[in-house]
Amino acid sequence: MTEPQTETAVQTETAVHTELVTLGSTSGRFQRAAASDPRRGQWWRFLALLIITAIVLIPIAVVVLIAVQPRTLGEGYSYPFGNIAFVLQETNADYWLENSLIVTLANTLLAVVVAAPAGYVLSRARSKLVAGYSVSLFMIQAVPVITIAIPLFFLFAALGAVDTLGAVIVIYVGSTVAVATWMMSAYFDTIPTSLEEAAWIDGASRFGSFLNIVLRNSLPGILSVAIFSFLLSWNEFLIALIFLRSTENYTSPVGILTFFQQFTTDWGGVMGLAVLMMIPPVLIFAFLNRYFSVGGIGGSLAGR
Amino acid sequence: MSTQTSAPTKPKNKQRPLVLVPHEHRKGGPVRGERLTYLVLSAPGLLLLLLVFAYPVIFAAWQSIHDGNLIDTGSFIGLENYTDALTSADFWRATRFTLIFTFVGVFGSWILGLAAALLLTQKTPARTLFKVLLLLPWIVPVAVSAMAWSYLLGTPTSPIPQLFTVFGMQAPLFLANPTLAVITVCIFKVWISFPFMMLMSSSALAAVDPGLYEAAAVDGASRWQQFSHITLPVIRPATLISWVLMVIFCVNDFPTIYLLTGGGPVNATTSLVVLAYAKVFLNNEIGEGVAIAFLTTAALFVLSIFLFRFIKKASVAE
Repeated sequence: MTEPQTETAVQTETAVHTELVTLGSTSGRFQRAAASDPRRGQWWRFLALLIITAIVLIPIAVVVLIAVQPRTLGEGYSYPFGNIAFVLQETNADYWLENSLIVTLANTLLAVVVAAPAGYVLSRARSKLVAGYSVSLFMIQAVPVITIAIPLFFLFAALGAVDTLGAVIVIYVGSTVAVATWMMSAYFDTIPTSLEEAAWIDGASRFGSFLNIVLRNSLPGILSVAIFSFLLSWNEFLIALIFLRSTENYTSPVGILTFFQQFTTDWGGVMGLAVLMMIPPVLIFAFLNRYFSVGGIGGSLAGR
Repeated sequence: MSTQTSAPTKPKNKQRPLVLVPHEHRKGGPVRGERLTYLVLSAPGLLLLLLVFAYPVIFAAWQSIHDGNLIDTGSFIGLENYTDALTSADFWRATRFTLIFTFVGVFGSWILGLAAALLLTQKTPARTLFKVLLLLPWIVPVAVSAMAWSYLLGTPTSPIPQLFTVFGMQAPLFLANPTLAVITVCIFKVWISFPFMMLMSSSALAAVDPGLYEAAAVDGASRWQQFSHITLPVIRPATLISWVLMVIFCVNDFPTIYLLTGGGPVNATTSLVVLAYAKVFLNNEIGEGVAIAFLTTAALFVLSIFLFRFIKKASVAE
């Protein structure tokens, strides 16, 4: 939709550029700058981005704006940030956030611990079995959560594990592992085998070279898997909805629904909790976003 | 990034032998215990996948041919659950909605995501800030954004419907009118998913050789011609992959729909996955719910194998 604008901008720019070249009065550096990043187009793009971003962020801005308001419903908390204070002190929100954190950290840690060795095998081993494993990891991605949730509900019910965070963690790790293995494998592919070969000559084992050479050089890959697992489990809703039954065991995405009564909704409370739920993923992306590349996911799909 | 990581591995893959090469013939491979090491390293992942995927899928198949409920496993009834599902109006309604939701979700988020990625590839003031801000809809929990959207347009007295009354129009019932609810949920999905498509497109665009544009500009190609003749063909493999992933994400999406509309009004926004959930956990019709989930899984399997082959062909043709 912005094409016509940029097109004219570029044409003008080309004209300007040609003019500059014919005048021959500018340095080569300036000419190159004029050709590769036209300043006129820059402002059109800036404006377009500003408008898109402003519209896109309305819902998120609303959450923040309502959350920091003084509380209007019921007694007390009628000071700035009162809604946040209210949910933390008067509701189970502190439990929900704690449960979310436990489940998320456990999943993040376990997903890396399980996926890293599996990814190494996928990256280095060559056999029919491994090829089959790789394809089945792709198929697993396509299984709807509801399909696995129903039988697992019966299994965990028989084991008495429904309504425990442990059940949820096991399912989260299981459903993260497929993609995580793929991401790890894609990262390991970038670490040359020649490094390992040198270690083998010195008597290191496969396992030794995996630990000391491959894994040691894979911090960005590990972080990328960790961020992915963190986001997935922090935001997950369906498994938590099915498996967590009592209020104090809820994770925050399920807990937030309790603010909806039949005829009234405590919007202040909803947004107070919502803002707290936004903080961990936003912080992670603010500080670690350069380690996260979805390209890794796509690349691993294309490469196999 | 995607093409960067895939490019070096591609030729290597072609040479992959189909059978295990005895380790003593492998260049520089450790002498002993390689297969055992591989087995041990992949065992935890395999066991988890057996528990969380293989077992449930097999058990679901068994459940789908029994008439069980939450207490009783029920007796064998053959394919009755499937015929029940396939002959019910609910099922076809849910299929129709799932198709609409997926189509709008995939192409809406792709177009918006690609547009944002194109704007962000070139130099712009505050580019990194925009990039991070535009990722927010995807990063923020769906439970949070669904709350925000319900607040903004859930009832006739919400801010956005009220905005319409300012212009003398009737406040639209975004979530109470069946047609409007379908449109609203689809837009909500696009809003959530476009940052993912933006990331996928960005990494694909980063791999486009700038020299191609320079050459095209010398030949007098317009911006649009450069886009349709250089950008689109070069990012095609990455685009196809992002479509496949988004199809899977959309068909499997439960929270986006459930949290905003709960599948209503009058089941207008009930997708196959939401229908399966409702059958099992609300109506206690396990067999039929599982049968629906199973049909959805089968359809996705067939689709993803088909698309996977298609992508492989497309990337080999490059």
